[in-house]
Amino acid sequence: MSIQVRNVSKNFGNFSALNGVSLDIEPGELVALLGPSGSGKTTLLRVIAGLERPDSGQIYFSGEDTTETRVQEREVGFVFQHYALFRHMTIFENVAFGLRVRPRKERPAEAEVQERVHKLLNLVQLDWLADRYPHQLSGGQRQRIALARALAIEPKVLLLDEPFGALDAKVRKELRRWLRRLHDEINLTSVFVTHDQEEALEVADRIVVVNQGKIEQVGTPEAVYDHPATAFVYQFLGNVNQFHGRVRRGIATFGSKTLAAPEHETVEDAAATAYVRPHDIDIARAPGIASMPATVSHALRVGPVVRLELSRDDNGELVEVEVPRERFDDLGVAAGNVVHLTPRRAKVFLETPHAAVGARP
Amino acid sequence: MATLRRHSVLPGFNLALGFTLLYLSLIVLIPLSAAFIKTFTLTWDAFWAHVSAPRVVASYQLTFGASLAAAAINAVFGLLVAWVLVRYRFPGRRLVDALVDLPFALPTAVAGIALTALYAGNGWLGEPLAKLGIKVAFTPLGVMVALTFIGLPFVVRTVQPVLEDLEKELEEAAQSLGATAWQTFSRVIFPALLPALLTGFTLAFARAVGEYGSVIFIAGNMPMLSEITPLTIITKLEQYDYAGATAVAVVMLVTSFALLLAINLLQAWMRRRQGQR
Repeated sequence: MSIQVRNVSKNFGNFSALNGVSLDIEPGELVALLGPSGSGKTTLLRVIAGLERPDSGQIYFSGEDTTETRVQEREVGFVFQHYALFRHMTIFENVAFGLRVRPRKERPAEAEVQERVHKLLNLVQLDWLADRYPHQLSGGQRQRIALARALAIEPKVLLLDEPFGALDAKVRKELRRWLRRLHDEINLTSVFVTHDQEEALEVADRIVVVNQGKIEQVGTPEAVYDHPATAFVYQFLGNVNQFHGRVRRGIATFGSKTLAAPEHETVEDAAATAYVRPHDIDIARAPGIASMPATVSHALRVGPVVRLELSRDDNGELVEVEVPRERFDDLGVAAGNVVHLTPRRAKVFLETPHAAVGARP
Repeated sequence: MATLRRHSVLPGFNLALGFTLLYLSLIVLIPLSAAFIKTFTLTWDAFWAHVSAPRVVASYQLTFGASLAAAAINAVFGLLVAWVLVRYRFPGRRLVDALVDLPFALPTAVAGIALTALYAGNGWLGEPLAKLGIKVAFTPLGVMVALTFIGLPFVVRTVQPVLEDLEKELEEAAQSLGATAWQTFSRVIFPALLPALLTGFTLAFARAVGEYGSVIFIAGNMPMLSEITPLTIITKLEQYDYAGATAVAVVMLVTSFALLLAINLLQAWMRRRQGQR
């Protein structure tokens, strides 16, 4: 089942939650809608589900216009951030709910309900909890039950709204790997909303980066991380250093450092920012060709990497650098030492007022 | 309740428990036990004669019957009022919201006189109803009307906060699973509201059983027909039959306590199932 979103807009009062969004989702894909809170990602998911009506635009499931189809008939499985389990029902009855509320003619016989519910509970590996009540389960177990309940109606698409948002870090990690495996097993077109870039990068086939009611970039995790289309995507996906400077005819100057910026060849002279990831900066004790001198202010050991905070000697700007622990030990630097930085890879964006939103390929 | 004493960030468990027991004794237990002690001045036969007199038995039936009926009516319509107040935004909502509390604040005698004037044979509502052959004032029906009036706020005020806290996602989840509006209400919303509704029902019922002021005017107080138990007790007191009055009061207390305890146990059972406690 493919999903097409065509030019969808949605306002809440004066607030524009979605602004002419179009998106294609292929059958069997696992897509992440990634963005900061208030970006419109949840609204987009709810519009796809039919829980929210768009002000304009259409939603197609396999080419069929479902914009006017009510949520009851849309056959979507929806998983909520806070599980939304029915707490007066046992786990079994929660999962069976979608089957029991069917019109009498379509309702499966009790034996079939039993069989299907137990099959689903086995799929989420929680069959032994069938007679418990939701409050007796942990958060991770509840979310798996919520997923089983959504799958019980044999939905055409599975939609998950921040499914791991309410769980602690360890359970979240386990559960997202489990979701990825489950998706490969059942191969249902799935869309999930998240504000956690790590989660999106790890789980999704494709990532849709949403900001201020618009789509910034759509692509595979590698494409989005390695080749961000806009300054926003660069900033949102992981830590990034910003160097402010100017671009003149394809050459960007940032203090004492110059970079080639061929994509801006036609620009006469404009303010620009270079974005460099902390792990894309080389660090050395001796000055190199066009390196930047900087003073170490802190060195933080975070697991296998060491995070260095430095201030540039030429303009005092803060720079963050990540180096592997062995490299850090070889360097033997401490707070107060002067080192020399060389960005290995940088991306230059112009600082026009619309640079953060407008520049889409 | 596994251990009586539990470690807590706030000290003073012993002091607080001691004060609670003392307070309850002074305010509730001692006055009530006085009723029991006074009753013991009667012999068993005299006690039985007092509490099983046909006129007294008829008054129990009216009091408990009308109270249960009134509480049931309030449960249904109080839920409706709470629903409308929580779920819809309309001009004058705050006003309606404040109006709900009025039966709390109004002196019960005022309510009784107003209801009597309204439902008497020549009243605004009494006259058209009389033409239809329905007599409200000075009948058991009138007692029920008065008890419904005073009990309404209890149901609305207990259901309202629970309804406000009910997550919208539960309804959306039910609908995304294909449930119709009615199925969503009857299978998801109503069971979630049931404990609060039962609390409201209990409070309305307890209030109705002990109600005096608003009822005596509209009831007409005809023996065997529209005489409530609290009035029977007052009548006995006015005749200086103190022991007889307390005997009837004891029966009322024990019955009320048994009913309230039963409802509380039912609630505790439901709460345990839903994991609210």
